[in-house]
Amino acid sequence: MSETLAIMERAYRGAVEKQFFDALYLAVELHRQLGGMDLLLRGPAVGYAAADARVEPIKLGGRVLDTLTDPGRDLRRLQDEGVAVWVERPDIAAFGVGALLPGVGVAEPGEFARRWGDYARVCFL
Amino acid sequence: MRAVPRTDVLVTLMGAPHADDTVTTALRLVQAMLERGGSVQVWTCGYATLLTQRGLGEHKPRNLAEWEVDYPTTATLVADLLAAHPDTLFWYGCRFCSDDRGAVDHLPQVTLRAPARYADNVAAAAKTVLVGVL
Repeated sequence: MSETLAIMERAYRGAVEKQFFDALYLAVELHRQLGGMDLLLRGPAVGYAAADARVEPIKLGGRVLDTLTDPGRDLRRLQDEGVAVWVERPDIAAFGVGALLPGVGVAEPGEFARRWGDYARVCFL
Repeated sequence: MRAVPRTDVLVTLMGAPHADDTVTTALRLVQAMLERGGSVQVWTCGYATLLTQRGLGEHKPRNLAEWEVDYPTTATLVADLLAAHPDTLFWYGCRFCSDDRGAVDHLPQVTLRAPARYADNVAAAAKTVLVGVL
């Protein structure tokens, strides 16, 4: 049983500025330091779990910037570290997401809210 | 006071970095206009003045998961853009916003201007686009 429930609702926050150093990067550390984490994606953040999402490089000046934030890659890394990733069912269709990344669970609305008491801490990322 | 060069577009970047993808969108817009032969000036306000701080250095801190990968800072990216388009891209920062946020050490290529002079930049551009909110 993970000790921390992390809920992510805001997404796509600074692909050029943050690159790798985003809330999912923070989640790796929280998972490691705080006794394991479950991650629930809601709202636009469900797009992070879209199986067909691609992050293309962009050109800026004479440079091709290929280190933009890649949430799908970061979610897979979290899964590899043992984080259980969930999305809320209504937001999948609401935000136009099709197939999900392998291993991503689908939660019913309110399902995790009823489980807050099971966790030592609940945080919003 | 140096005269503001005539440009096709002024992009006034008000939105804060790190909060959403406003900066990514604005930089792609600037790049696209430059590639089409347009001339552009950028005026940053608020936290967008942090984009060109020399304290950011050339590289972001190391990524523990990808130790050998280089991640350029926004200061590096803006410097690259300016170097690639020396005659058609100009970068301004609002002096008041910079002072208010402690963003007082800009790249030397950035010209700080008082907000009272903003109308001069608008007048020097054929079109002004304001991106984000302060």
